[in-house]
Amino acid sequence: MSDAVAKPKPAEPKQIAEVKTTRQITAARFSPNGAILAAVGFDSAVWRWRLEENELKALPAIAGHRGWASALAFHSHQSWLLTGDSWGALRCQTFAEDAPKTLWQHETAHEGWLRQIAVSPDGKHIATVGRDGFVRVWSAAEGKLVAEHKTAEDLYAVTFTPDGSAIVFGDMRGPIEAFDFSAKKSIRVLDAAALYILDRLQDLGGLRTLLFIDGGKTLAASGTTPLDGATPQSIPTILFFDYATGKLARTFKHGAPKDGFIHDLVAHPDGHLMAVTSGSPGNGMLMLLRSDEAEPFHVNTKMANCHAVALHPDGKRFVVTSTNRDSNGNGRRLTKDGDYANNSSPLHLFESGAPTS
Amino acid sequence: MASLCTPRDHTFSRRAFLGGAMGALGGLVSPAVAEALRQKEKQVLFVWLDGGISQLESWDPKPGTEFGGPFRAIPTSVKGTHVSELMPRLAKQMHRLCVVRSLCTKDNAHSSGVDRIQRGDPLNRGVPYPHFGSAVAKILGPTASNLPPYVWIKPGTGGFKSEDAGFLGPKYGSLAFGDGKAPENLLRHPALTADEDEARNELRAMLDKHYAARRAPRNVEANASVFDMARELMKKADIFDTSKLPARDVERYGRHELGQHMLIARRMLEAGVRFVKVTSYGWDTHGDNFNAHAGMVPKFDQAFAAMLEDLAATGLLEHTLVICLSEFGRTPRINGHVGRDHFPEAWSLAMSGCGIHQGAVVGATNDKGTLVKDAGYDIGALFHTWYRALGIDPGKVEFDNAGQPLPIAHEEMQAIKEALA
Repeated sequence: MSDAVAKPKPAEPKQIAEVKTTRQITAARFSPNGAILAAVGFDSAVWRWRLEENELKALPAIAGHRGWASALAFHSHQSWLLTGDSWGALRCQTFAEDAPKTLWQHETAHEGWLRQIAVSPDGKHIATVGRDGFVRVWSAAEGKLVAEHKTAEDLYAVTFTPDGSAIVFGDMRGPIEAFDFSAKKSIRVLDAAALYILDRLQDLGGLRTLLFIDGGKTLAASGTTPLDGATPQSIPTILFFDYATGKLARTFKHGAPKDGFIHDLVAHPDGHLMAVTSGSPGNGMLMLLRSDEAEPFHVNTKMANCHAVALHPDGKRFVVTSTNRDSNGNGRRLTKDGDYANNSSPLHLFESGAPTS
Repeated sequence: MASLCTPRDHTFSRRAFLGGAMGALGGLVSPAVAEALRQKEKQVLFVWLDGGISQLESWDPKPGTEFGGPFRAIPTSVKGTHVSELMPRLAKQMHRLCVVRSLCTKDNAHSSGVDRIQRGDPLNRGVPYPHFGSAVAKILGPTASNLPPYVWIKPGTGGFKSEDAGFLGPKYGSLAFGDGKAPENLLRHPALTADEDEARNELRAMLDKHYAARRAPRNVEANASVFDMARELMKKADIFDTSKLPARDVERYGRHELGQHMLIARRMLEAGVRFVKVTSYGWDTHGDNFNAHAGMVPKFDQAFAAMLEDLAATGLLEHTLVICLSEFGRTPRINGHVGRDHFPEAWSLAMSGCGIHQGAVVGATNDKGTLVKDAGYDIGALFHTWYRALGIDPGKVEFDNAGQPLPIAHEEMQAIKEALA
């Protein structure tokens, strides 16, 4: 018999708006003041919308990246937007104006795909990871390289510890390393090998996000439990580590082998987590869950193949980026106009109700 | 160019198979025999990336375009030609390669597409055509090495794959080395003396005669030829023993599955196998295409580039036709699973070796990679090209299907002249 105290449940989130886009989006965040939603995906643009009332109004996209603009993060204290691309560039820019200013940039912050960006809690540092196996720490104000650490793997995810003294990063194969960038020494390695298999030639699975919760006591590592390639068969998964001991405390899995990856994981100020998945070959979902519960308390499967969830600072609204229906299909599919068909990511703006007992 | 021949000239005779030169080829060919092979024998390496490698993440990158994906393009040893950044080693081998970027084939399903491509998609004659390996085994026969003419190194199960042969009959099937390993029980059991083994073979031969009396000749021949192949392979079993390979070779090809299989394939070519097929599975990336290619293409790059380097260094490339392809390419459009789907309409393959115009890039796709420019090439044109590269004239050589003459390649197609040396 459980002695757990019943927790208040947030009311079912309701979709209050949907905005069409012309491209596929894989990462999205609200600015700290909640006025701007920025997003990146399968092209070089940094897409922006201004949130007015409950409407997302498009702003001119920011150009200048090459390949895919693949990573973004807002600075926590300044009106700065940090973006990175798949050809290795890192840029710090303003974001609210029609024509934002570049404050600093590095064309080759990484050799190739810059995968993820994190901002330290005090706002002094930025961390980036890339396919070149480097994790790098930069000064936020000037973009000066503060520290770097080389690994042998393609690094996927990075975050700062809540006290800002270390960076935590991980790759596809499983080890999650904590690195004190001032002392330049590795301080902890956690085992997330459950998120990886080698299926013949294919490295399959992998970490997608790292997130500290419970005031820094727990590190949540999200991704998938892979079962089989080449089209991955895998189950959305979050590993919860006791960060002090480095031990795996709990594993959360939800869905079938077709349900794929958790691509984005966000902590809600009420204490729950918000996760989005894209299926493979399933359709994806939005999940709201608590780290100590076996099942999510809310699942929305109405949106296809979701890649990002952006929580508004008010904690009441959030945006999920999905993919248009029928995004897959063999052969050359044409539009009514005879053009080769592309896919896009509708933006779904949700509003949460007041918690209920 | 080798003299032209007819199928009857190269009927796969058991007597000829056993009666040929029995050179003392170890696991690696001796210089004298290698030279003889170089003088006389055309061989084929056929690399099959099953499921469909993405042309956009390999031979035909479109960086910075709508469907180009995240990767950059890099220059190659051929001025003006670029490939994906995932293939830095092959970029340095580009002067040895001919890439066709304008393949436009018909089938977007694996189940039918694999056969369609490997059989050359000829006009329908109501009979299943042979895979290219079986066709070459039939037309050219085994080399002087007496090794099986058509071997297949593949992940998973091995055995004799008679279905490859189509109407040619089961003995032209492939001898498959599952997981790159020699067939089980290939070596004589240690408890068995050579005399005892010979006695057993004599007994088998006698029983074969009884067996043959009650069965169709082509099935009997197939059955006997498998035993013959096994006997020849027993003499060269160290081909498969990768523990004896120099560590440098193992590292150069890669310790991964494809690297090791490619290395065994090189040893088979050196030992004189006529046609070696190497298959790699896992390229059907409907989901997580870019991470999958980021992991797999560099392994392919490593193994295939090492093979080209070695074939060139030993001189075998002059007499070996090298082909690398899949059953189709992958869609420019990226689906919601971050994958690319099947795309036969505009994709690429690579070739090298004898008869091939090395350093050439044939055909092109449009800026987005969604269409081939001008007329695309179907697989029938490639079969014509490959036969020509081997010195076989598809206009003069034909199959004999129990008295019915059949063309060896689609008679309404022609070789790609720009791809031939």
